[in-house]
Order: sequence, then structure tokens, then C-alpha cells
Amino acid sequence: MKRSRKIFLQFGIFIIVFSLIGILINNLTINLIRTGLGFNFNWLLKPASFALAEHALPYSTSDSYAWALLIGWLNSLKVIVSSLLLATLLGTVIGFARTGSNSLLGLISAGYITIIRQTPLLLQLMFWYFIGFLGLKENVLISIKNIFKISNQGIELTGLTFSSEFSALLFGLGVFTSAYIAEVIRGGILSVPRGQWEAFRSLGLSEQTGLIKIIIPQALPAIIPGLTSQYLNLAKNSTLAIAVGYSDIYAINDTIINQTGRAIECFIILLTSFLFLNLLISNSMEIINKIIINSKKYN
Amino acid sequence: MKLYSIMIFFKKLKKNIFLNFFNTILSLVILLTTLLVCLNTFRWFIFNADWRVVTSNLSLYAFGSFPSDEQWRPAIWITSLLLLSIITLCGPCWKWIQQNLLLAWMSTIPLGLYLLYGGFGLSPIMSRHLGGLTLTILLTVCSSLLSLPFGIVLALGRQSSLPLIQKLSSIYIDVMRAIPLIAVLFFGQLLIPLFLPVGIEIDRVWRAIFAFTLFVSAYIAEDIRGGLQSIPNTQIEAAHSLGLNQYQIMQLIIIPQALRIALPALTNQAIGLFQNTSLMAILGLVELLGIGRSILANPEFIGQYIEVYVWLACVYWLVCTIMAILARHLEQTMTINQTNF
Repeated sequence: MKRSRKIFLQFGIFIIVFSLIGILINNLTINLIRTGLGFNFNWLLKPASFALAEHALPYSTSDSYAWALLIGWLNSLKVIVSSLLLATLLGTVIGFARTGSNSLLGLISAGYITIIRQTPLLLQLMFWYFIGFLGLKENVLISIKNIFKISNQGIELTGLTFSSEFSALLFGLGVFTSAYIAEVIRGGILSVPRGQWEAFRSLGLSEQTGLIKIIIPQALPAIIPGLTSQYLNLAKNSTLAIAVGYSDIYAINDTIINQTGRAIECFIILLTSFLFLNLLISNSMEIINKIIINSKKYN
Repeated sequence: MKLYSIMIFFKKLKKNIFLNFFNTILSLVILLTTLLVCLNTFRWFIFNADWRVVTSNLSLYAFGSFPSDEQWRPAIWITSLLLLSIITLCGPCWKWIQQNLLLAWMSTIPLGLYLLYGGFGLSPIMSRHLGGLTLTILLTVCSSLLSLPFGIVLALGRQSSLPLIQKLSSIYIDVMRAIPLIAVLFFGQLLIPLFLPVGIEIDRVWRAIFAFTLFVSAYIAEDIRGGLQSIPNTQIEAAHSLGLNQYQIMQLIIIPQALRIALPALTNQAIGLFQNTSLMAILGLVELLGIGRSILANPEFIGQYIEVYVWLACVYWLVCTIMAILARHLEQTMTINQTNF
């Protein structure tokens, strides 16, 4: 294409896109004036006057909306980090079981992966919440003195208590993501050429040493990008917390919109908090990736 | 001969399952646990479970609150989709069937819309009467069909040499991929009416389809971009040397190849979309999961969570598996066509 034509084309598309946005904003302002809401963030400092069952920092109903949002963000972070750990642990075990030599174990983990991946997450969350925790008839499932207890009140671990909403979300997200992580790990292990396995066996290394020293270091660079995207998915999926009544950032935004009707402002807040969460996850994974690459270099 | 194959089977068994002491113990434990779990599940399935909550509400699960004397319409649509899947998978390979299969699949969409919404001789039905599996399939089909062209445009935009177009589509794709689906759907329900001029209204189902389209097209764009990037530059040079112009190259050379490469990822998106339509259950649409929730709210069936959720999981699993098998079939026929070139 000629240069002049390129500039002309871009200019045309610029005008179309911006006139479209202009029309939308115009409609928006008309509608906002009609409903008498306007656009501002002053309401953030007003008292929220709704109760939160779970809060990491002190919170009362007279605290501001902004404080409630921060609590929600921390709740999100709490459930994301803990289910991320659970998912990684489960996913690694299942991924190795899937690739391992025991074909019975491989069959079972393949079944687990298909069942988990072919049913919706929301259904699984409700399953965990209504059947897994609230459905416990005799109230206590497992109780080992005062150390560990699972009941319809949640999980209790040496004084630390997790509500049933949090626990259902933790297991739901953890199990769901673990199936995907297992596939990522399986892909990573399969990406290591078979010759490497044969080579360490012929050197007389045991299966375990070979796996730890030879196979896993080579599989990690293929695994990390897949893991990052699964972690990001997990963070996004954690917003389904609203289905089980856990007050994460999305649920609190939802409550605020129901109270104040400020949909646009809340959308912007949600967007920025998620951009921040995504940056947090992808940057920490980037750091881990760098550490792994560096450790490989010096060995 | 038979004895020999049995011996091979046992040898394989020994190699795979009873390799060493640790593996033997592990295998035995697994076998025992699986047996126990299966037995318990079977016992629950036959004796303890009360399946009336499913059997007496089958029409609700399938059609929602569709007027009862018009339910043959969605029934015809779902049956035709099922028949077409069966014909595609294991029908005879007569030439005229193979040639018209794509046409038949395409025609199910206008057929479905006509049957569901009525008009032209059928009594018109409002969107709010749609529900159950019918609504789930409608949401999936319409949103995936709408998001495909939008996704292609976005992917081409992101690959474009014009900086402005490239920036705009990159921003759209990255922002959409950063926010959770439920937020897009919720704000789709809330904000779409705010962005429209006064007097124009879209009903809930189509607002949901629109929000799904906006969301999924960003993901589809990234999948197609992967396909676009894997096309070697020599293809474009060859097309140039044949004297094709820019649009012909796009239409005849690049997009068909990119779509073929991106096909597995695209079918995964379709399956994901089918599962994600369940999110509309918390936003007030009575699709498959929503119907399950409203049946559970009925005092007659209160507390029968396990039966309903197991049944719903089976339905979702079945449809997803059918979709996955169809997708694999499509990939295979595509590679066969490619080798025929």
C-alpha cells in the first residue's frame, strides 16, 4: 500500500471508532442525567453500612465504601493465593500420575481430568458448597481432637478457622484449576525428549534422581508460561465467589451497585483492581521464571 | 492364539501395574478404593437417590418455561442438532451428504431462531420464556457465531502494519482478557441499556449474547493470531508473485490457513463458552443451571442438591464430550483434505 493511502485508511478508522465512542458516551450522559446519578467518586468516603462476614482487617458497618473495597480485594487475594497453592500441589501430583509408568494411576487421573474439565466451574462450586459443606448432615465430618476439623461451619485447623464459603471456594477453584495444571505439567514432561530419559537411565541414575535432576529442570521452562496463564484464569474465576456468598472484590462491587446504583464507577474500580491483580501474578511469575533460567545458567 | 494374547495381556499388566513392590502396593490400594467408591456410588444411585426431582421435571430442564403446547419447536431443533451430529460422526460417506453437511450445519441456526422466536406462521414467543438446555444451546451457538468474524477482524487488526489499528485492537484484546467473564456479563446486563439511546431496548438474552460476544472475541482473536503468525512469509510472497491483490491474499490464502491452524483452539473456546453460559444462572437467566436452581427452590424438592447437581453435571459432560468428539472429527477431515491437495 502507498503511504498516503495508509494514512488515509488509519484516519478513516480513527474517525469511525471515535465517533462511535462519542455516540456511546453521549447516550451515556443523557441516560445518566435522566436517572439523576452523574459521574463522581465522592460516594467512596460515605459509610458502607453493610456487614461483611469475613475481613482480614478490622471492619465495621460505619466504615467507608473504599475501606470495604479494600477488604474485598484482600479477601480475593487470600482465596486466590490459597487455592493457587492447592491447585499447584494437586495438579503436580496428578500430572505426574498421568505420565508415570503405572497405567492404572494414569487411567484414573485421565478420568479425573475429563470429568473436571467437561463440567462448568460454577456447578462444581455449588456442588462443593451445598453438598460438600452445607450438606454435612451430622455437622462434623472429620474431627481429630482439636487439631483438624471439617464441619458445616468450615474447616478448623489448630485455632485457624476457615468459613464454609471460603473452604468451598478453595476446594472448588483448587480442584478445577488442578485439572488444567495437570495437563500443563504433562505437556511439559512430554516436551523433554525421550533420549534424556534413556540417557540418565544408562548412566545408572535412579528414577527419582533422574526425574529431579534431569527431567524437571528441562520441563520447567515449558511449564512456567502455561502455569502463569492458568494462575491468571484462576484469579479471574475467583469472582464466582458470589455464587457461594463469599465477599470478594466482585461481590462487594455488586453489593455497592445494588445500594448506590453507580455501575460505571464500580466497573472502573473492578477493572483497575483486576489489572493490578493480573500484574501482580504475571510479574511474580516472571521473577520465578528469571530465577529458574539463571539457576540453569550457573549450574 | 487366544492363550497367547492372554499371556501378552498379563505380561503387559505385570509391566504396567505390578512393576515393583511400591507400584504393586499402589495399584492394589487404587483398585480397592475404586471398587469401594464404585460400590457406594452404585448403591446410592439405585437405593438412596430420589430421582423424581429429575424425571418429573424433564421438560423444564429441556425447554424451561416454554409454552407447553409449543414445546415441539425447541424439541425439533435439539433433535435436528443431535441427528446432524450423529450423521456427521458415523453416517455413510456418500458424496452428497459430505458436500451438504456444512450447509446443513449452517442452516440449523436460522431454523433454530425461527422455531424459538416464531413469526411467519408460528406464534411469537418472548425471550423470557426461553430456558433450560434450549437457552444454553441458543446462547452458545449465537455468541460463538457472532464472535468469530469479530475475532478475525481483531486478530488481523493486531497483526496490521498500521500503528493506530494495531494499538486499538491490542488495547481491546488485552483489557478484555484481563477482566473476569462474570464482570463482563453483569455489566453487559447493566451498562448496555445505559449506552443505548433512549427508547431502544434489548432483552436480557440478547444482552447476554452481546456480552459473551465481546468477551469471547478477544480470546478467539488471540487464537487466530497464533494461526496467522505460523503462516510463513513465503506464502504471501508467492501470492504476490501470482498477482493477487491485498484482499484476495487475505481472503484466499491467509485466513483459510490461519483458521485451519487455529481450529483446535477455537473448538476449545466453543466448549468453554458452552460451560460458561452457566454463569447466567447467577445473573437471572434460567438456562440449564438456572433451571436446576429454581427447581431446588421449589419446596417439593428442597434439599435434593446431590440428585440435581449430578444430573446437571452429566448433561453438561455429555454435551461437552459430543462437542469434543465432533471437533476431533472436524480436525481429522481437515487434515485429510489438506493431504489431498
